[in-house]
Formats: sequence, structure tokens, C-alpha cells
Amino acid sequence: MEKAQINLYQLFVLLVLFELSTILAPLGIAAKQAAWLSILIGMIGGLVLFLVYYRLYCYYPDVMPTEYMQILLGRFLGSVLAFLYILYFLYLAARVLRNFGEMLLILAYPVTPLFILNAGLVVVTVYTVRKGIEVLARTGELFAIVIFFLAASSLLLIVLTGLIKVTNLQPMMEVGMGKILETAFSETLMIPFGELIVFTMIFPYVNVNHSKKLRKAGLMAIGFSGIVLAFTMAINISVMGVSIVSRSPFPLLSTIRSIEIAGFLERLDVYFMMVLIIGGFFKFSIILYGAATGTADLFKIKETSRLIYPLGFIVLMFSLAMASSYPEHTYKILHSDAVLFTTSIPFLVVIPIMLLVIAFFKNR
Amino acid sequence: MFSFFEHSKKTSKNYSPEPLPKTIKSSLSDNLALLKQKTGKSPDIIIRSLKIGNQPKVKAAVVYVSGIVDTQTINEFLIEVLINYKEKPGNEAGQELIEKIAEEVVSVGSIKTETEWSSLFESLLSGNALIFIDGAAKALTAGTKGGEKRAIQEPSTQSTVRGSREGFTESMETNMAMVRRIIKNPNLWIESIKIGNQTRTDVSIMYINGSAESAVIEEVKKRLKKIKIDSILESGYIEQLIEDQTMSPFPTLYYTERPDIVAGNLLEGRVAVFINGTPFTLLAPAVFVQFFQASDDYYTRFDIATATRFLRAFIFLISLLGPATFVAAITYHHEMIPTTLLIVIAAQRESVPFPAIFEALIMEVTFEILREAGLRLPKAIGSTVSIVGGLVVGQAAVQAGIVSPTMLIIVAITAIASFATPSFAVAISARLLRFAFMICAASLGFYGIMLALFMMVAHLCSLRSFGIPYMAPFAPFMPGNLGDTLVRIPWWSMKKKTQLMNHKNIQESKNKKSQSLKT
Repeated sequence: MEKAQINLYQLFVLLVLFELSTILAPLGIAAKQAAWLSILIGMIGGLVLFLVYYRLYCYYPDVMPTEYMQILLGRFLGSVLAFLYILYFLYLAARVLRNFGEMLLILAYPVTPLFILNAGLVVVTVYTVRKGIEVLARTGELFAIVIFFLAASSLLLIVLTGLIKVTNLQPMMEVGMGKILETAFSETLMIPFGELIVFTMIFPYVNVNHSKKLRKAGLMAIGFSGIVLAFTMAINISVMGVSIVSRSPFPLLSTIRSIEIAGFLERLDVYFMMVLIIGGFFKFSIILYGAATGTADLFKIKETSRLIYPLGFIVLMFSLAMASSYPEHTYKILHSDAVLFTTSIPFLVVIPIMLLVIAFFKNR
Repeated sequence: MFSFFEHSKKTSKNYSPEPLPKTIKSSLSDNLALLKQKTGKSPDIIIRSLKIGNQPKVKAAVVYVSGIVDTQTINEFLIEVLINYKEKPGNEAGQELIEKIAEEVVSVGSIKTETEWSSLFESLLSGNALIFIDGAAKALTAGTKGGEKRAIQEPSTQSTVRGSREGFTESMETNMAMVRRIIKNPNLWIESIKIGNQTRTDVSIMYINGSAESAVIEEVKKRLKKIKIDSILESGYIEQLIEDQTMSPFPTLYYTERPDIVAGNLLEGRVAVFINGTPFTLLAPAVFVQFFQASDDYYTRFDIATATRFLRAFIFLISLLGPATFVAAITYHHEMIPTTLLIVIAAQRESVPFPAIFEALIMEVTFEILREAGLRLPKAIGSTVSIVGGLVVGQAAVQAGIVSPTMLIIVAITAIASFATPSFAVAISARLLRFAFMICAASLGFYGIMLALFMMVAHLCSLRSFGIPYMAPFAPFMPGNLGDTLVRIPWWSMKKKTQLMNHKNIQESKNKKSQSLKT
């Protein structure tokens, strides 16, 4: 563990930035008009998962998950599990990076090689993460202000242009409650809320005199970002209607593109791009930091910062190798049942709950 | 250059390799001989021999360096009174006589008895007069510092519309007195050391005891004491030797030549470092927003001041990102420019033979050349440069079809923006980084600009100035301290002074290296 401390506000900001990076994707659109509802249900599941991670942190507030896995499961099994988690984080990082690169490619750089786009982000991320969690948190605080102004001004512009048609959100329950719940638990719960497991690597750095405050900050951050995500999705649907949103890879982009004021404020793609880059940067940095600090802890390496170079390189290569095209990436990895049942559910839900049960009996 | 001096010093015959004897002798002629030998019989070292007392007359000498002493003081209060001293020395010759002279005869403010050659030399060379008396193994140093100085004038940098018109001079005593005149508080403390093996430059730190955090004061002192260097010619030397991070385009110390700015910062809990021989005084710790504040902000009303500060932040962004954004939009993101504007720009660029990035680089470099040329020329020729620059480079370049008028406008706005930043230290960093941003914009468009911006912000967030995070109070976010940053709230609502310099915010800086530079 590096010697660093972040405060609760910084944790809040990092959580919100991490969550909001998914604001660009058509989240929970399988539930049609009720996409926002499935996001909110997913959020409630996310709150429960967060409480699981939080309880584990409460049992071992000063050590990394990689270490308390060894305490709970024994040295050998714990190390293997910790190693698997690190691999899982690297996979997550690569997936986020791939997604990011593909979005940029579609958005503005049709002829630029994916490698160049991904490498650009990796270079900047490695530079930042190498400076430690404190610098990452402070950078987050500055960009949170930027995001706030972007969000406020774009909402104002959307309202001023008169784009919102509430009728587009009706009928609300077209697909039925069963489908809504299925979407919530198979999609929105895992991405973005389940991915918060990376923050178990960051909790030990939070400087807090009472762990309940951490719970409060975490719940507030998840609640806030869940509401913002649901609200954004509702606006997307109300502006463009369900059929366009479900066919669009980036519904928010289409929404922002339909802003037009005074014949001059139009085609504000740059807004979307800033949100994309800020969100992608923080999500990727946090996951990469989690992977690096976990590796350093597991293999007893003193300097975390040196690990970032090789890990960044591995993730870059993995991101290029994991799928051959964007559709393959979307359907074989992001929305595939195989990935859901073999990695997401075990790593995000089953193993943490199992660990919590063991911790409960061990610390009785 | 320095090694050249070192070399010539060693071969020179005047350089005496044998060390100074520790204490002075009682024989006057021996002392004077040593003095002459050590100073190489330099003609500005004046040795005035005289005889004092009556039956027997005792030989004595007054030694001073002409030019750095106040001649009137020496003539009237040293030489004249000594010659007129006609008491009988009796058997109190030597040791006791010197005490008596110090206490009863010499009418100069500060007078000290010294026995060691090293401190005598230091005292002599900083403008004091020495009094030797035959038979005494002691000498007197009388405070006679003086000589020609520049008068207090209006500062040439950081001039204001409203506010005090006086600026610092090259004399440290004058400068510190100017601050004393503003803050009449016994807690205004000054500590002094000498830095530089050859120059023995006076460096003083000034702070308000109780307001300044002791950790910061200790850190400043520690870093000053660590300096090992032959010469200090300007405050820039000290700044570069004590700053936290050398590898950074951003300044982590603030410099100013205005006494009111120094006083304001001392009251906020900062520490000032005065260096003799320069009107520029350093202030530590510095935070980033500080470089966008001017002393006018505190004198004008708060709404005007706040608007001006937002304008300055905007100006900084223009001077940093102006050409880069234009290059990115022209090269990669046509769809983001409104159609009519795009048509106008495209029509202008039709005849331009270069890609946008080269066009921008040509104009930016030309502008930097013009600025550098105008900076050091005599005023009479300076106007020629502006005519040649403005007319030939601007007008003719467009007419010849080398650059488009839009690019010229962008470069001109950027140039004016970089002059409008209140602090030259930050304006020059933006000037340097602008080129990096332009290259990034040309290679990856807005994505490149954003990446470079992320790198810059991460770097800024990693900086610390004497333990205070550089981006405070924005990152880490301190809501209580936002009253005097980009906004300035009215004076009555500033309940307490800012807590930025609080000990809670001071943390050990990771990138701190003990910097010692041996030339």
C-alpha cells in the first residue's frame, strides 16, 4: 500500500465519475420506455452490493481485499482468489478501454487506428496513476466541476430548444415487469453498479474516523449517480423516442446533436466528447489503479508506481485482442450471457457474499 | 561560464591560497599589512591613518570601502571625533582605550567589537567602517552603510489603476522598511542569513509570527540553509533552488515588486523572502489561483473584481488553447463549426498552401520572434519592430496567401491574451505549453487536446508548494476558502482570513528533493 489518504468528498467524486461514465451508453434499453425504471432497480441492487463490499471493509478496514481474502480463505486459496480478482480487474480495464476507443472511432476518428486512440488514453492514465491515488482524486475534483457545468448547461439547452416530449415515455410498462427486472439484474446491476467492486481496493485509503461516514458517502454517490443516469435515459427517450434510442449506439450523442439555439449553438458534439473522455479517463484510471495496488499488495512489491507501466501495456494489448470488431465486442462481451454467468455474477455477487459469510462466522 | 571564472580565479596571482588568520593581532601595522595583502591593494579600500589622544599619541586607523559607505558619516562622526579626542590615554592604551572610544567617542548608531578576521572582512565589505587601534587585539565596526541607491519608484511590472504607487528597490533594507510601514505590528518578524560563497548576499525571510504556520517557516529556512552556491545575483536563483518541483513549467513561488502585495500575503500567513540587490521579492507557499489575482481586485468593488477574475481565467484558457482548438476544428472536426462560418473559413484557406498546423506554427513562431526582439531593443528601435511586425508579417503574409486572415486573428487574440495574464510567470508557462497543445491538436484533434489537458491537470494536482497543494482550494476542495479565489466576496462577508496555510493542509511533499547546486 502506498502512503496516501483521500477524504470522503474525494471518494464521493470518484464514485460519481466512475458511475457517470456509462451515461453515454443505451443503458437498460431492453426495457424500452421503462429503461429509467430498470436503471433505478439496478441501482437498488447496486446499493445492496455496495453494502456487502462495505461490510467486508468494516471487518478489515486497514488491509486490501487481496490480503483479507488470504485471512479468510487461507494463504493458498486466498492468494489464488486475489490473483483471479486482479485478472478480472485487468479484464474490466481492457473492456472499458476497448469501449472507449470504439466510441471515439465511431464519433470522430473513422480512419485513425484503434491502437493510437487506446494508446493515447493509456499514456495519460499511466502518467496520472503513477502519481498515486491522491493526485487522481484531486484531478477528479477539478473535473467534477467541469462535468457539473457541462451537465447543467446541456440540460438548460435541451429544455430551451423544447425537445422534451413526455408522450415518448408512454406507455411505461410496454414490456412488462418481468422483462424490466430481468434487464435490471442482468445489465444495469452489473454495469455500472457491480463494477464498483474496484473501489474495495480504494476504501483502505479513505481517511475516515468513523466507517459509517464512508457508508453514507458511498450510498449517496450511488444514489445520486443512479438518479442522474435514469434521468438522462428518460430524457433521451423523451427526446427521440424508444425506437431511435434502441438502435443508437450513443443515444446521448443524438440528443445533444438535436440541440439548436439561435442558429449558432448547434452540433455540440464537443460536449459529448468531453463527457466521453472525462468519464472514460476516470473509470479506466480507477480500475487500473485498483489492479496495480492489488498486484503490489499480493506480490509484496513496495513501489506501486513502477507496476503501472507493464500493467498499462498489458491492458492496451488485451483491449485490442479481446474482440475483432465493435459488434463482436458489444454482443459477445458486453451483452453476452456467457460473460454474465462466468465472470460478472461470480466475481461481483457470489464471491463477495461468500466472503462476507465467512468473515461473519470468523469474526463472531 | 562559471567554470571559466573558476579557472581564471585559480590562475590569478591575486588569489591567495593561504587561509585567513583567525584573530587579529595587537600591532596596528601588522593588521593593516594583512588587510592590504588580502584585498590585493584595491584602490577602493581606504585606510585612513590617524593619531588619537595626547601624550603619548596612539596610532589608529579607520578602514572603509569607498562607494558603499556614507562618506559624511565617516568624516563627521568617525574621523573628526577621533582626531579631536585629546584625552590622555595614560596606561589604558590598547584594549581599554578601544572600549572607551566605542562607548564615549564614536557617535554612530551601531557599533560592535570584533576580534575575528572573517567577520571583520564581511562587515567591511558590506559597508561598515573598521577602527583599528595600535596595541589592541580588537577592532571596532561602525555601521556606516550607505552609497548610491535607486530611489523608490513606481513598479514597472504589476502596475495598477488604483493603489499604492511605490515599488521595491534594489536595497533590501528599504524594501523591508516599506513593508514595516504598512504592517505596524511587533509580530512582523525578520530573520536574516547570507547565501553565496562569493557574493555573500543578504537574504531575509519575513513573516508574521502567529499568522504564518511554523512548519512553513521551518521549511523555508531549512531549504535556504541547504543552498550551496557561489553566487546569488537575483531572486530567481533562490526561487529555482528552493522550489518543490524543478521539472515543471509552472511556478511554485510567487514573486512581486509591490509592497502592498507582500503585506497582503504576509497577513494571509505566507512567508516573504527578500534578496538584496533585486526589487523582486519571493512569496511562499504559492497556489495556482494566486497567479490570476492582482492587487486591484482587493481595491475595487467585489462584483467588478469577481468579473475581472473570471475574465482572467478565460484569458488564460485562450492563451493556452486558442490556436490548438482552431487547428483541431479545422483539421478534424469540421462538423462542429456552424456551416456559414465554415464556408467563410474554407474560402479563406483555399489559397493557403500549408496545413492548418503549419500555418499556426509559422505565425506563432513569428510572433514569438517579434516579442523576443522587442523585449531587449532600445526604445527608439522598438517601434520599428512593431511596424515591421504588424505591417509586413501580418498584412503582407495574408496578401501573399501564406496564412489565412482567420489564423492571423486567432494568433493575435492569443498574443494579447498572453499579455493580459496578470502574472508573467504563468503567462510564460502557457506560452510554452501552447505549442505542445498545438502539436497534440494536430495529431489527434480534440481528443489530443483533452489528453494533453488531462496530463496538465494531473501534473498541476500533483504539485505542492511548501506542503500546500498547488490547486487548493479547488483540489482538494475546501468550500470555506473559496471566498478569495476566482470570486472575491465582499470584505464584510470575509469573516476570517483564509485557512489555506493551515497546518492541516500541509503534508510532506513527495517530489521534494534536497537541492544543492554547486557551480
